[in-house]
Amino acid sequence: MTFFKKPKKLLEQKSTEKHQEPNPSARTNSSQNSQFEQEKSNNQNKTINQLLAEIEESFSSSQDLQTHWIEMPSDKSDVALIFLDSIIDKQKINPLFELDKDIDLRTFEKVINIDFRKQTDFTNIEELLLQSYTIIFTKDTTCYYSVFTPIKTERDISEPDNEAVIRGSHEGFIESMSTNIALIRKRLKSQKLVVKYLKVGKETHTNVAMLYMSDIANPELLHEMERRINSIEADAVMTPGNIEESIEDKTFSLFPQTLSTERPDRVAANLMEGRVALLYDSSPTVNIAPVNFFVFYQTPDDYNKRWMLGSFYRLIRLFSFYIAIGLPAFYIAVVSFHFEVIPSALVLLMKSSLENIPYPPLFEALVMELTIELIREAAIRLPTRIGSTIAIVGGLVIGDAVVKAGLISNLMIIVVATTAIAAYTVPSNEMSLAVRLLRFPFMVAAATFGFLGIIFGLIIMFFHLCRLYSFGTPYFAPLAPFRIGDLKDTIIRLPFFKMNSRPEDIRPLKKDEDNHTRKWEKQ
Amino acid sequence: MNSSHTITHRQLFFVLIQSQIGVGVLSLPYTLFAKAKTDGWISLLLAGIFIQFSILAIWKLCEMYPKQTIFDFMPKILGTKLGLLLNILFIVHLFSVCIVILILYNNIVSKWIFFQTPRFIVIIILALTCVYCITCTAREIARFLMLVSPLLLILFFFVGYAYTDVHLLYAFPVGATGIKTIISTSTDALIALLGFDTALVFLAYTEGKSTSKLKAMSYTSLCVTLFYCFVTFTTYIFFNPVEIVIVPEPVLYMLKAFSFKFLERTDLIFLTIWIVSVTTSLISYLFFTAKGVQTLFKLHHHKSAAPYVGIICALIASIPGSKLDVQMWSKTIGMTAMIFSALFPILLLLIAIIRKRKEKGAAST
Repeated sequence: MTFFKKPKKLLEQKSTEKHQEPNPSARTNSSQNSQFEQEKSNNQNKTINQLLAEIEESFSSSQDLQTHWIEMPSDKSDVALIFLDSIIDKQKINPLFELDKDIDLRTFEKVINIDFRKQTDFTNIEELLLQSYTIIFTKDTTCYYSVFTPIKTERDISEPDNEAVIRGSHEGFIESMSTNIALIRKRLKSQKLVVKYLKVGKETHTNVAMLYMSDIANPELLHEMERRINSIEADAVMTPGNIEESIEDKTFSLFPQTLSTERPDRVAANLMEGRVALLYDSSPTVNIAPVNFFVFYQTPDDYNKRWMLGSFYRLIRLFSFYIAIGLPAFYIAVVSFHFEVIPSALVLLMKSSLENIPYPPLFEALVMELTIELIREAAIRLPTRIGSTIAIVGGLVIGDAVVKAGLISNLMIIVVATTAIAAYTVPSNEMSLAVRLLRFPFMVAAATFGFLGIIFGLIIMFFHLCRLYSFGTPYFAPLAPFRIGDLKDTIIRLPFFKMNSRPEDIRPLKKDEDNHTRKWEKQ
Repeated sequence: MNSSHTITHRQLFFVLIQSQIGVGVLSLPYTLFAKAKTDGWISLLLAGIFIQFSILAIWKLCEMYPKQTIFDFMPKILGTKLGLLLNILFIVHLFSVCIVILILYNNIVSKWIFFQTPRFIVIIILALTCVYCITCTAREIARFLMLVSPLLLILFFFVGYAYTDVHLLYAFPVGATGIKTIISTSTDALIALLGFDTALVFLAYTEGKSTSKLKAMSYTSLCVTLFYCFVTFTTYIFFNPVEIVIVPEPVLYMLKAFSFKFLERTDLIFLTIWIVSVTTSLISYLFFTAKGVQTLFKLHHHKSAAPYVGIICALIASIPGSKLDVQMWSKTIGMTAMIFSALFPILLLLIAIIRKRKEKGAAST
């Protein structure tokens, strides 16, 4: 039996049962409210009504704010329930209405068997309501009760599409912060794992959870992180990107200064190195900070391969960084300035390919690179089934046709395709985007100054990396500043038993990892 | 001085190496050969020993006035007025060093890569790149200079590849030109080795024991001298003595002769890497200059001086056009640079020591 007596569509199906209970009443808008108050005024409930009216006013009579009355069978006193109909799970409060024996609020608690709390602070009622709480007022108006009744609107845990691995966990974060924390806790069953909730956005009240290992993460870093997050003053903080941009050291940089990931194992591993993870309300993205350049090139897959293979593929990935930013630029420089560099065996081949192309190499390269970016952008927007068609049409048909039409040389197609593939080997989407954008200035520099342009571009880029910081830690560590001990898990990956110290650039409290994995002796 | 801007003595080593190895390496064998013939490399070794004295003087000065740059302690040694005057002169000298680096860089680039490009364009791209690089602290500069140091190994291997085709006999007879010529040629070698004087500003930022600082400085000059010596000696045994006279950049001509299956014209690749070395030298000197200008005008940060310093250098550096002009400029500035960078610190140290003695004497009586 339920008590809903509502003009609202959503509850109409339940309204059939409304007459069975002695004191049913509910309102959704202020006109009904005032009428109701008059009816009820003889019932000593005036103070409750006032409270309800206040709440309703502060919500500007939003129609999903609903109130229900229950008469306690025990002492015939009325109890009022108020909640935001859209974000609570009515299944959870249903038991309240189905009681016909003598009950009091103690039994309520037992029946509901969830977060049921007595509160006296009347100032944060609105906030609780917004967080899917149901508020219960009784005749004793000095206090009220709050019941946590969130509705489950989350999808199931699945593997993140853009961070897939071959071996290893296939779990990914979802749009619920508590589930995400659970996924991390599942991996780090330690009392040292600390969760700290912060709140940003004056209107959106976005929850941010800061996760760290209390015995590893540097307190200075934690303090700095908290200071930066707390200093965000904005009405709306909608996406992790908003927070990321507000707290990172340098906004005018192409390079991401926090690592966004949807993989709990990646977060857990980074927490154990002394980094901090930021989880957000209703976002599957978790930001890890501070990071260095090489963190973006690590993937959980590396640790599930044999270490030599892991190292090899990491080297390939780092090499792909150079290919992605430099190959088209190098090709343009060679073709338009330094033809002498091409070995004699290749000269004829290149000449025959380039001879009849009407455009300068920079133009060729720009057109092809932009075409690839177009295809990529279109493929993201389109449904998967059509996406593959676009890839075929875009990649194969256009690629073949422009060469046959004699607009673009086939060498340029090879260069552009290699570059595109190289940019996608980066395990982090942000870094991959940065790398893809970087190659345009390099191409222009190469077309203007040849090798000289490329080398000045590289100098500026590397200098930029050297002077970039992520939460006060050097971004290009362990190469600048050079720390040979920390190279073991950046450019290559050494065997697990060699990794017994944490990277120094994050200044962890505990440097030693206590890894003694091969204590057994060979017989 | 902010303690977070300090560098370690290991970083100091790389900073000085990168400041020393620069524009000179390409034409050094030629300039030395012009005077001392195939004994040029001995002059170079001698010059390496000479600069040890300057290095000692610089180190001692910076030890007497810790955490201060030369612009801070010069007025203390020489009195406010004379100190100010010499500060200005020293800044002018630094400007001229930056200018000569830009001139020589342009000279090589316009000869080997860009024959038609206007001088000013070639010069300004280097100057602006360096201006961007010096708008940060000494620590970040040190990190960058250390990061690019492995490139020197590539230069080393490129030059080392010449040993597939050398004739040791070209280097003989050793010492044929006579000790006098060898010693007088070493002044020319000294100019190529300049760069250690940037320690006058970088030592102020270095932390750690003063002996390890001295060690870092001495090792730097040792490494650079040996590297230069290796390059010079290699070209002397690669080309025969008649050939060197007609190749002003022997290193590049030597590399031009090599070709690999996948790469022709190794010299272009070498030049590209060499440009990094030039850039790093210019970064050090521009930083030095900007620091001087900062002290002179009492600026809050040297960052605000950097663009002006860079652009002024670039403008002046694009004046000399003909080959003769370039030669004259580089020779004059080379001489003044030698006086200011190598001899001046020794002189300054002597004055400082005498002054201290006097003060002590005055205090005791």
